[in-house]
Amino acid sequence: MNRNILQRRALDKQVAFALFLFLVSFTLPFLQSRENRISEEFTVSAFSLGIGPILLLLLAPLVILTSAFIPNRKRAALLSTVAAAFGIFSPLLVLSIVGNALVADLGAFARYSPASGMYVYLAAVSILYLMKQKAQSRDKVALFLVMLLAIGMGFIGMFDRLGILLEARNLGTRLWREILAHVRITGVSLLISMVIGIPIAFLAFINKAVRRVVFPILNVLQTIPGIALFGLLIAPLAALSMAFPVLREWGIQGIGNAPAIIALSMYALYPIIRYTYTSLSGIDEQVVLAAKGMGMNSTQIWKIVRLPLATVGILHGIRVALVQTLGNATLAKLIGGDGLGVLVFEGLGQASVDMVLLGMLLIIALTVISDRLFQFLINVFTPASLIREER
Amino acid sequence: MQLPFHPILSDTSIFLQAERISVRYGETEALKEVFLQIPTNRVTVLIGPSGCGKSTTLRCINALVKLSSGVISYGDESIQNMSETQLRRTMGYAIQSVGLMPHLSVEENVDLVPRLLGWERSGRGERVGRLLNLVRLEPGIYRNKYPHELSGGEAQRVGVARALGADPPVLLMDEPFGAVDPLTREQLQDEFIRIQRQLKKTVIFVTHDIDEAIRLADYLVIMKEGEVVQADTPEKILSSPQDDFVERFLGPDRSLKRLSLFTADHCCIQEVLSGLEGPSKSVLPEDSTRCYWQVDEGNRPLKGFMWINGRLVSRVVHSVNHTVQTYSSMRECMATILSLGLPAAAVVDDEGHLFGEVRFETIQTISVS
Ligand SMILES: Nc1ncnc2c1ncn2[C@@H]1O[C@H](COP(=O)(O)OP(=O)(O)OP(=O)(O)O)[C@@H](O)[C@H]1O
Ligand SMILES: [Mg+2]
Repeated sequence: MNRNILQRRALDKQVAFALFLFLVSFTLPFLQSRENRISEEFTVSAFSLGIGPILLLLLAPLVILTSAFIPNRKRAALLSTVAAAFGIFSPLLVLSIVGNALVADLGAFARYSPASGMYVYLAAVSILYLMKQKAQSRDKVALFLVMLLAIGMGFIGMFDRLGILLEARNLGTRLWREILAHVRITGVSLLISMVIGIPIAFLAFINKAVRRVVFPILNVLQTIPGIALFGLLIAPLAALSMAFPVLREWGIQGIGNAPAIIALSMYALYPIIRYTYTSLSGIDEQVVLAAKGMGMNSTQIWKIVRLPLATVGILHGIRVALVQTLGNATLAKLIGGDGLGVLVFEGLGQASVDMVLLGMLLIIALTVISDRLFQFLINVFTPASLIREER
Repeated sequence: MQLPFHPILSDTSIFLQAERISVRYGETEALKEVFLQIPTNRVTVLIGPSGCGKSTTLRCINALVKLSSGVISYGDESIQNMSETQLRRTMGYAIQSVGLMPHLSVEENVDLVPRLLGWERSGRGERVGRLLNLVRLEPGIYRNKYPHELSGGEAQRVGVARALGADPPVLLMDEPFGAVDPLTREQLQDEFIRIQRQLKKTVIFVTHDIDEAIRLADYLVIMKEGEVVQADTPEKILSSPQDDFVERFLGPDRSLKRLSLFTADHCCIQEVLSGLEGPSKSVLPEDSTRCYWQVDEGNRPLKGFMWINGRLVSRVVHSVNHTVQTYSSMRECMATILSLGLPAAAVVDDEGHLFGEVRFETIQTISVS
């Protein structure tokens, strides 16, 4: 009972904060339009949107406010699901309707995009989602339906003039190329750092001398800023490719993807070696002693005890490295590499906010998706006993 | 050169002999020139204050720690000439910290050594069930649990089952019942004695608990700061402790402890007065000093009768608290006699049938002897 009240209070604090953010969002420009991709933007605040859009936008905060006052917990939960769903759907709808109206008489290159108000609004909505301790299937279904609706709206052309989609269309096949390049650069770097890092971690675990050498180097490597490491590699690789022209045929030269991949794999070494080493050394010494005591030879101790117990930790290290590399791969563009960094840095160069945003969103999406996929993989590999332990 | 020999059991051979073994961990000297002989097919109990080197001694025996000096020999063979893994597989080892494999179920843990030895798969599951029953864990409930789902005492018992896994001739048990409650501990000790009587393994058992030590030991080794202070039969040690340390270690109730050395079946009288009905005057005359046991059709005792001060006193005895087992210690017998208020306690066998009675006079005789 007491705990219920406490929970309720904590919840109400979150609701209050969300409502505050909703309020703030109404004071900020909600969306903006431009005559072309780099011209001055024309912002529109939520108050000037007209009664229909305002009502639509008010739906989520009002419903969540009501839910906070309903004593029946089940109904309150249902209302919060509704609020969260509308919290995503309404701004999208308002964005497309008002945006299309705004750009209607601005010419063929005109576009609209969300402005700060809408971002704050979505932040408030995200609090509604984070508030729930565990996402219920109902919330997932609602979110899925909203996504379907949004995609449907896209298909009938309601988002045709949305800035980032315009940008994506302009890029055409180049967009796909950069996405694939990003994935490839990340994948190759990760593979290299796994092939090098995991054996090094095992060696470090077995041999004290190796440990003494590896970890200081790793720590220094980790403190070099990313861009500096990328830059540092230009000179030696350029020299190498000059000396051995064969290397150039393989794509190894001072600038381009090769130095990017080398730098990225060096960065990924840290989490991979750290996690692998920690999951090996973290195994309870008493368990190993017991295994020895019952007459396992060292091969059997590795096979039956150490490897099964370390696998999950090693996979987690790879996952951390993957997420980190996906982000860092953005920097590849700085030394002439490919990948989504191209969009970000070209966009910055051309002062095209939409292009930068497109690049960023794609990187985030890639990261989230691959993280999820990897987590799934880890779950498959985790022995039943250890899964239960985590819960 | 004169070695510091300790007395050894005369009725059995020497399984293992440690000559002047020392173990150093860096600065600390865990064992200092220990001399020890372990009798074959008997229970040797190592006891002593924390940190005196009991666990280290066990680890020397299965070659888990390297000797700094000295020799351990098994029969005629020196440990240095044996394959360590082969040696360890002949010795069940219940390690002090239990050390169950966290990623394996209880069943897989118990089954580990048979698996290592490459035993036929069929029958192994059944064997696991038997072993779990032996340590008083219901196989149906515990078989598929994982170590983190067990209490400390349950994990410890799984550890013991695992040590017994491949039916090794030698058992090294490092405080195997340290984390269980007194009641279960006593049951496990009973069970241990029962099994040991049948199987006659060579057991080296480490404990902190002097009562447990006296109860289980055929040969008791008292250690202190990496040295063996006294090693002999518990009777000998109880009747003539070597020095102050041993005496203090045994505690003030030495004579009471001596009672734990004797089990009911060795001291009980098997010709008892019993019958399906209550006692008639002819069977149990008013001047008799004996007990009469009323039993059911299965010869299980129901009531005890006795003339006290001209009055026929009767006590209901049909619960396990009011009778003693054949392998119960005389100390337990005395507790039962006192709580019943009869001058004797009924002894029942494994099936609960009346086996005999333990009389108070017998206990008196033992304690003055
Ligand atoms: N791996 C080790 N490294 C360093 N010192 C150790 C190690 N193992 C044991 N020791 C030391 O050796 C001495 C004897 O330890 P041991 O484990 O044999 O004691 P014990 O009699 O089993 O004690 P307890 O009853 O507490 O289990 C102790 O002083 C201990 O600190
Ligand atoms: Mg110990």
